[in-house]
Amino acid sequence: MIKIENVKKYYKERCVLDIESLTVEQGETLAILGANGSGKTTLLRILAGLLKADEGSFELPAPVLYLPQQSYAFAGNLVRNVLMGTKAAAGEAEQLLDSMGLGALKEKKAASLSGGELQRLALCRLLIRPAKVLLLDEPTAACDAQGTALIAEALADYQQKEGCSILLSTHEKEFATACAHHSITLRDGKIEKEQEEVC
Amino acid sequence: MESVKQAFELLFSLDKELFQIIGVTMRMSFFSTLISCLIGLPLGALLGTKRFKGKSFILKIVHTLMGLPPVVAGLFVYALFTHYGPLGQLNMLFTVRVMVVAQCILITPVVIGLSASIVRDRSKPVIETARGMGLSNTKVLGLCLRESRASLLSVVLNAFGRSIAEVGAVSIVGGNIQWKTRVMTTAIMLETNKGRFSFALALGLILLMIAFIVNILASFIVKEPADD
Repeated sequence: MIKIENVKKYYKERCVLDIESLTVEQGETLAILGANGSGKTTLLRILAGLLKADEGSFELPAPVLYLPQQSYAFAGNLVRNVLMGTKAAAGEAEQLLDSMGLGALKEKKAASLSGGELQRLALCRLLIRPAKVLLLDEPTAACDAQGTALIAEALADYQQKEGCSILLSTHEKEFATACAHHSITLRDGKIEKEQEEVC
Repeated sequence: MESVKQAFELLFSLDKELFQIIGVTMRMSFFSTLISCLIGLPLGALLGTKRFKGKSFILKIVHTLMGLPPVVAGLFVYALFTHYGPLGQLNMLFTVRVMVVAQCILITPVVIGLSASIVRDRSKPVIETARGMGLSNTKVLGLCLRESRASLLSVVLNAFGRSIAEVGAVSIVGGNIQWKTRVMTTAIMLETNKGRFSFALALGLILLMIAFIVNILASFIVKEPADD
């Protein structure tokens, strides 16, 4: 279970994040909606340990995996990228790439992928590892409808297998509806709309 | 043109002393570059990726040392290894080994400073992505170096270039001793002082040729990411 209590973040004098209380049950998906600059990325980066909160506390079970908004294509082909830092077999990586519609490109250099393909590759790099929490920052921002559907399906399969909680930020309400059990909307760093049932 | 002709004549004459000088030059430059990079690249990567108290002060010192005059480094090493110096008992003065030490003092700050700046510019997306994948700090650091390898090659070549072209420090601590510590640069200086400009220029051309060959070999070892 993820528990967030009074987490605040300031940039200079300005409070950019102020979450009084937020809970996500184990095995549930929470979509974080909101305009640009509403605090979605700040919240996810704090939970991922990449940014320190100025106030408040949070608890989340390890291991935590995080997908940044702009993913990086490591040198080498797609299979090598997916296997980076894991002991998983090449076949497992190829299977994952297939499920994301990237099977035909597996021998290509990751640097040659389009934005949407790179986002799917970046997600494959996470989904090959075990996790209790997945933090995804706009995982479908560069994807077309087909790519978005593949991601939604892969996330559902992974969640079923691992029983993990997923927090994802998105601008796409349809994607949120397809993936998330609940959603919140952030505005100026605060929860504007409380958790509501999405599906 | 006379110098170019003389340079090739020198090379093809298989002059023993010339090849001994080239050998000492290569040995000194190779080891000083190797040691400086082994120390400097990881430290540069750390400075480029980590945030800690005093980092800006350390970077200022590194940047100052990047401009350290070679004769000052030479004098410092001479004072350390001279008979009455703190390391005099090692009897290393006027050897190739002490020339390597002097070179390392000169080159290591250059390697640290340049690699820190390269890794810092490239590290943010690499760190975010690698940390997000749950990789350990050591692996993240290794990835930062690996992803910057084409740019870091230029740092290594820069270090080698400084080492092979340096004259002030090596002449002080090496003494320019014939058949022992004479390198290309000190030989050029000697020939110039003797008034044999054409011969000195020929040696200079050979030095340039060596640097060119090393650059070509290095480009085969590390290719640009696009060709990876």
